[in-house]
Amino acid sequence: MASSVLPTPLLKDELDIVIPTIRNLDFLEMWRPFFQPYHLIIIQDGDPSKKINVPEGFDYELYNRNDINRILGPKASCISFKDSACRCFGFMVSKKKYIYTIDDDCFVAKDPSGKEINALQQHIKNLLSPSTPYFFNTLYDPYAEGADFVRGYPFSLREGAPTAVSHGLWLNIPDYDAPTQLVKPMERNTRYVDAVLTIPKGTLFPMCGMNLAFDRELIGPAMYFGLMGDGQPIGRYDDMWAGWCTKVICDHLGLGVKTGLPYIWHSKASNPFVNLKKEYKGIFWQEDLIPFFQAVSLPKDCTTVQKCYIELSKQFKEKFGKVDDYFNKLGDAMVTWIEAWDELNPSAAAALPNGPAK
Amino acid sequence: MAQVTINENEVDIVIGALHSDLKSFLNEWKPIFSRFHLIIVKDPDLKEELQIPGGFSADVYTKSDIERVVGSSAVLFSGYSCRYFGFLVSRKKYVVCVDDDCVPAKDTAGNMVDPVAQHIVNLKTPATPFFFNTLYDPFRKGADFVRGYPFSLRTGVDCALSCGLWLNLADLDAPTQALKPKERNTRYVDAVLTVPVRSMLPVSGINIAFNREAIGPALVPALKLAGEGKFRWETVEDIWSGMCVKVICDHLALGVKSGLPYVWRTERGNAIESLKKEWEGVKLMEEVVPFFQSVRFSQSATTAEACVLEMAKTVKEKLGKVDPMFSRAAEAMEEWVKLWKSVGSS
Repeated sequence: MASSVLPTPLLKDELDIVIPTIRNLDFLEMWRPFFQPYHLIIIQDGDPSKKINVPEGFDYELYNRNDINRILGPKASCISFKDSACRCFGFMVSKKKYIYTIDDDCFVAKDPSGKEINALQQHIKNLLSPSTPYFFNTLYDPYAEGADFVRGYPFSLREGAPTAVSHGLWLNIPDYDAPTQLVKPMERNTRYVDAVLTIPKGTLFPMCGMNLAFDRELIGPAMYFGLMGDGQPIGRYDDMWAGWCTKVICDHLGLGVKTGLPYIWHSKASNPFVNLKKEYKGIFWQEDLIPFFQAVSLPKDCTTVQKCYIELSKQFKEKFGKVDDYFNKLGDAMVTWIEAWDELNPSAAAALPNGPAK
Repeated sequence: MAQVTINENEVDIVIGALHSDLKSFLNEWKPIFSRFHLIIVKDPDLKEELQIPGGFSADVYTKSDIERVVGSSAVLFSGYSCRYFGFLVSRKKYVVCVDDDCVPAKDTAGNMVDPVAQHIVNLKTPATPFFFNTLYDPFRKGADFVRGYPFSLRTGVDCALSCGLWLNLADLDAPTQALKPKERNTRYVDAVLTVPVRSMLPVSGINIAFNREAIGPALVPALKLAGEGKFRWETVEDIWSGMCVKVICDHLALGVKSGLPYVWRTERGNAIESLKKEWEGVKLMEEVVPFFQSVRFSQSATTAEACVLEMAKTVKEKLGKVDPMFSRAAEAMEEWVKLWKSVGSS
């Protein structure tokens, strides 16, 4: 049955907001009413000597490249440089149950009634209510207020599965690839679709990292954003990569992935020519990578995210290692990531307080 | 995306009449329905004469017509299943079907929704079952495939079934509606999306459209509850039919869409009263889910008819022993394909 109408818990001590930035954090001013109660983890990409100003009144920890190198040592090789993929370092060092990650060109959007959207609150709602990956509900999220399971929806499946990921969307500048941007430079997403829905088991999707929340305890180690940016042959596929791995693992472990609300306002259209150069190899590679992820099968004894991920890296290297050396490096980086994750998140440790601010 | 033209010559609107007085129903739909050909099929169990207002191009079929055309198979077409007779005799490429307790809805801007046009657009634009697009239907104006959507999958496949939704009284089951008698669906979700391959869904017969040429035979009037009644809560014919259609579409690489258009569904019946009858359907659903998850077709099943026949065999084998209702459903499916071959094809 649908969820009750209790207010959504703030979860301010259980959720970290991870923000990768290379420019500035001015956008936080607009988010202040919604974000101020939370702890921020800022990942400063690019030149570590540059000073990034964090607006007054926010509780945060900040890591630049020097910090990443210091903390991870040789394992820092798995964290991308000069690409927002570096955000996954923030996922690794967080000590909280939930993560919300947002890009620094994303602002507060308005719903059709003109009301400002508290994106974080909606993500929390999404994560705290079950998903329904085994049977599609035509009225979308049955746990949303005013919605429910429709006639014919099997009762035995109405408890749903725990929600691991909440994938939000964007008004204004849509998340198009470079070729589409070149063909439709003026297209803006003005359609507010008032729905949250579970992506069915066995179906992959393009996971965008701009407005994303997840349960770090359920799926954290799968949220590795790959090797992108400086020194790498590819960019703008970091979140796609994480999405494919995450969905496969969620499907295997019986966890749900939701997409839809909340919307944020995406203000910046990146340069399509620059994007094309970054995406170019990805456009070809994804034609083979996606069938791999669609067909991959994880053995029953992969009962933890880490085990699933290591197994994925094995199968991936076997299949793609000879295609391009990049894939060997990526496969190795997947293992390094898990090793680093486990080092920073020993399972025996009790909940630790936040790391120091910079 | 190219503009989709709605060609009246390609469309039949099928109405299963479970009420005899269709005057206010049809008058509400007149602005939208009047340009199309209607096939009105009267529930054979309905005693009263149908009242149909003028201004429509309609063929009306009653019990005697059904018996004349299909003989003893007329038993397949009672109650809500009477509309399947309309699907059988239609000769159009697209069929749109709406329950007779629905009227036009309004969108969030207050404009009357034309569900026929929306359904045809859904059916005439490709579906994308192999990879989920987070901006929903990429062929809608103002939308597209998002970054990361594989290019080789962007042509999509033909859409064979379009499942619409309902404002006001949503298609909830009896227990849910009984527990929440005041619940009304007021959320207009402005999206059409393809239901991914291998994903099952409850297809409600209240507001659907399909490509008859592609999958007509796959909409089967097969599963009848022992106590099937004249309220939607007391049926599972559409749910069963929809699960068959989905696995067949998955096999034939055809798409199924869900979302817009909305219709406005009005008050009828008493959920608590229907509870007694609906439990049978609820129990049956539990049996069928694992079955549909595992159903497979042979390579040689390349048409909807062939798929239905293969399914009927498997239903008999695997589900027949669970409940005799399924054996009867399997027989009905075979009978339906025979009828389709003799009556349904020109």
